[in-house]
Amino acid sequence: MSRSRHSVRPHASTIGPWNRFCYFTGKAWANLRSNRLVTVLTVFTIMLALLIISVFMLLYVNLEGTVEQWSSKVVITAYFDNELSNQDLATLKARVNSLPGTDSLRYIDKEEALKRFRSRLKGQEALLEGVSADVLPASLEISLKKQYRSPDAVTGFVAGLKRIQGIGEVQYGEEWVRKFLTFFHFLRLLAFLIGGFLIMAVLFIVSNTIKLTIMARREELEIQGLVGATPFFIKAPFLIEGMLQGAVGAFLAVIVLVAGYQLFLSNAINFLSFDPAEAGLTFLPTAYIAALLIGGTLLGFVGSLASLKKFIIT
Amino acid sequence: MIEMHNVTVHYQKDAPALSGITFKIPKGDFVFLTGPSGAGKSTLLKLVYGAVRPAIGHVVVDGQNVTRMTRRQLPFLRRNIGVVFQDFKLLPSRSVYDNVAITLEVLGWEKRDIGKKVYHVLKQLGIEHKIDASPQRLSGGEQQRVALARALVNEPRILLADEPTGNLDDNNKDQILRIFKEANIRGTTVVIASHDKRVVHYSHHRIIHLEKGRIKESQDVAFPA
Repeated sequence: MSRSRHSVRPHASTIGPWNRFCYFTGKAWANLRSNRLVTVLTVFTIMLALLIISVFMLLYVNLEGTVEQWSSKVVITAYFDNELSNQDLATLKARVNSLPGTDSLRYIDKEEALKRFRSRLKGQEALLEGVSADVLPASLEISLKKQYRSPDAVTGFVAGLKRIQGIGEVQYGEEWVRKFLTFFHFLRLLAFLIGGFLIMAVLFIVSNTIKLTIMARREELEIQGLVGATPFFIKAPFLIEGMLQGAVGAFLAVIVLVAGYQLFLSNAINFLSFDPAEAGLTFLPTAYIAALLIGGTLLGFVGSLASLKKFIIT
Repeated sequence: MIEMHNVTVHYQKDAPALSGITFKIPKGDFVFLTGPSGAGKSTLLKLVYGAVRPAIGHVVVDGQNVTRMTRRQLPFLRRNIGVVFQDFKLLPSRSVYDNVAITLEVLGWEKRDIGKKVYHVLKQLGIEHKIDASPQRLSGGEQQRVALARALVNEPRILLADEPTGNLDDNNKDQILRIFKEANIRGTTVVIASHDKRVVHYSHHRIIHLEKGRIKESQDVAFPA
């Protein structure tokens, strides 16, 4: 056993970072394969949790679109106290325009108001016989900028509007907007709560699966530590294992979501009274899908890390 | 190579496992650690590879103060120390090859180099024909050789062994001790913890005798090899 003749150590080449990553991934893969049932169950549970989260995301995205669409239709109508001269009207318009939040203005004169009134009473025009345009007030229709469409901002804007001399009554769908937005905020809160709960559940599941694997391989990890493995060398395969489980779970969740969405689109017209495609229903944007995939992988990583922190190998 | 300065270890309050241990083992030395069961032999070995930390005193190995080492530094010390455990610590679900290769995998060796080196070491120890066998199917002597192969495969500077001949017959004991002797001739510092008198008197070596966690005597003994 002469050192010079047989020693491989001085000549042995050590593997580079890429090969080392491949080694860790190979270990993680072998471990996933050796615990097939646990792996399948974990991936399925992650998929289910992420699927529920993604369904909420889909609902949220579509509701947000609807809110966006509806809130753009919110128009504030300001009636004038008295008839205004052209100069006064120009001054008043300028003052309203200078209010923060004003997006656009439209002046509705008495004639225009009567015309609209008539069109609303179609079929019962006889009721307006003998009514002249003078009995209706002229008004300004004001559209608000996007960031001023929340109930609080609208109330604030209206208060400012009422302070302008010449403005009498102000009308806007206050109650309706408030109720709808409250419902929307409640739904968003619910989605966050359920999402948060599901994320915690996924973390718990991944962390416990990895814990089981660690327990099963405790002896091997102990020996690795005793022959000089760094904590990173011991932990890396488990972290990759968690990330693989999370990524596969997220990928499957997206596949099932796409399939479910397509199935809904092609069948919804049969049991709903509208065509979802025409109603402007949209699928999750690419950024959301990317977030789901990255989020699933991260969840797997954090779940593994949490269980490894509790197992300090010395 | 190994120094301990006034080392005390406590597992339980008021009952130190080791107390006031001070000694030096120079590089390339071959030392027997003797004493009855519970004298502190295993604890003393654990201090060398950092599995146990002293309550008082300092442990210096290869010029590095083990007592002050962080968890991140410890693996690099252990890469220069081969340990043969009393219970062998072989993985029953893995082959002999895997059990030995684990040391080189940790060091990041290329796969082909690992294969060559593992085969070479197993051949030196006369068990290359068992390379694919499970440790469970091996005799006690063969298991001991696999444990030794794992400790020697990266040619460590220090070799520690805890009762390495515990359950072996005389023929196997002689063969195992010869392997330690060969490693020592190649420059490895060897420390063997044993209560087996026949093993201790194997040849002319220094003895550190422990009793109730204290060094009773440290001497060189001369017995024919």
